[in-house]
Amino acid sequence: MEGKGYEANLEERSPMLEAKELLVFYENMIALNNVSIKCEKGEIVGVFGSNSAGKSTLMYTLSGIILDIKFKEEMRGGERISVFGKILFNGCEISSMKPHERARLGIILCPERRRIFPESSVLENLLIGAFLSRKERKENLDYVLNLFPRLKDHLKRQGGFLSGGEQQMLAIGRALMANPKLLLLDEPLLGLSPYYQEIVINGITQIRETKKIGIIVTEQYARPLMPIIDYGYILENGSSVLSGTKEELMDNPDVKSAYFGV
Amino acid sequence: MHILIYGIINSIALSLISLGFALVYSISRVPNFAHGALYVTTGYIVWLLINKLTGFPYPLAILVGIGITGIIGALIYRLVLIRIRGMEISEIIATYAIGVAILEGLRWGGLRGMTFTLPVFIPGSVDIFGVVVDYQRLVVVILGAATFLFLYFFIHHTRIGLALRGIAQDERAAMMLGIDSDMTAILSLGIGSALAGFSSLLLLPLGNIIVEAGYSVLIFAVAVCITGGLGSLMGTIVASFLIGFAQILTDKFLSTHYQMVVALLAIILTLIIKPSGLFGKQKELEERV
Repeated sequence: MEGKGYEANLEERSPMLEAKELLVFYENMIALNNVSIKCEKGEIVGVFGSNSAGKSTLMYTLSGIILDIKFKEEMRGGERISVFGKILFNGCEISSMKPHERARLGIILCPERRRIFPESSVLENLLIGAFLSRKERKENLDYVLNLFPRLKDHLKRQGGFLSGGEQQMLAIGRALMANPKLLLLDEPLLGLSPYYQEIVINGITQIRETKKIGIIVTEQYARPLMPIIDYGYILENGSSVLSGTKEELMDNPDVKSAYFGV
Repeated sequence: MHILIYGIINSIALSLISLGFALVYSISRVPNFAHGALYVTTGYIVWLLINKLTGFPYPLAILVGIGITGIIGALIYRLVLIRIRGMEISEIIATYAIGVAILEGLRWGGLRGMTFTLPVFIPGSVDIFGVVVDYQRLVVVILGAATFLFLYFFIHHTRIGLALRGIAQDERAAMMLGIDSDMTAILSLGIGSALAGFSSLLLLPLGNIIVEAGYSVLIFAVAVCITGGLGSLMGTIVASFLIGFAQILTDKFLSTHYQMVVALLAIILTLIIKPSGLFGKQKELEERV
């Protein structure tokens, strides 16, 4: 019942991010097949699926990185990538915008495998993240260090020498420095111990509560994130096979067996 | 003493020559083989300004020369390299072709036949521990050191510099944070070319402006960058000192024309012993999963 009311709500307003019928091909292989996804301000949306389900492709498409990949492949005479579909952000069509232009609008991707700047110190990583938000730099830095106090102890250390969990905190912190309105987290729990998973998950919840921004988070394994998401999508071989609120997904027998191992 | 003082001077001169090349490569991964051509171009532009326009002040000519070279560098990226970005072989061929075109264009356009010289900044010389050093060489040392400090500050402590550092380390990750990769590449080529121009104006008063300098400067820059490790500014400076002193030693004990052999030998030895160079990217920094 709670879920129904929520869905009705989504239909009425035009959401902050709305991607319609995304189609992405790598040569003849379909990576995203008619995927539509919405994300509202202050909402956490989960996208779950196994390897090669299209999660990262979806994130690259939303953030525009796919256009850069496409351009470079074309230049090299490599794989032909085709992207179709509409992406609306606050009602504006952004699907032909470059990644940095989308970042300027507030769509910030925290990529899979973190991609920390390895030779820069932790502090420098964060400052590079503040490229778009010079004025609020100090404020954002305090916020990030408050959110992940562990980073405080390593400010001078090279990013490449941090442990995986610390790198993940740093990657999320770096993305937050850019003042995101929509934060895309691509597999933030990848390879993390349960201890760090919990820190990251708590961090995500805190970001939602304090910043009131939209967050889309992908993961292979749904269980750790299920408690914090508002709405979820399940991708299989590039198609969105199921979507619904947390409760709807948890009640679905197929989801239970496939993603919770029950 | 002579070896020490001239070694330092020669090393700083070498690092000035190579710094622009290293900077462009470390930021945008473009090997700018037009570097030597831009070096000569700046010298020739300034020569034209002060000799063909009577009364054109030398300092202003220097600024104009460096500015024009910077713009040429930026245009090379904007017009040509932007289309072949990421294909190293094409980048080398394209920039080398542009470099040869510029150099031979200059030769055709008048840079031949007579001796072209630029005036020194401060005439005269000074005696340091019994070694005679002219003021121009001291200017090279002082301004060279100032350039390193300025560049270090610029890259680590300004917004644009940090953006350049981000792009240099992981282009796509930087894009995700709102940094425009084409803009930074244009900027890096502009700065790198301006540095080539700057070094030429410091060094050319010590000799003549000749087209061939474009080729040898390129080889020196490549030798220094390969020895130091491509993409590492620290390595560039260390390698400049190694090769710089080696050149002065050969100059002293063998003969001056072995200088080029030293540079080429440095390339070959580095590629045999440690292909990634002294400060090349280390494996230990690879991502951890």
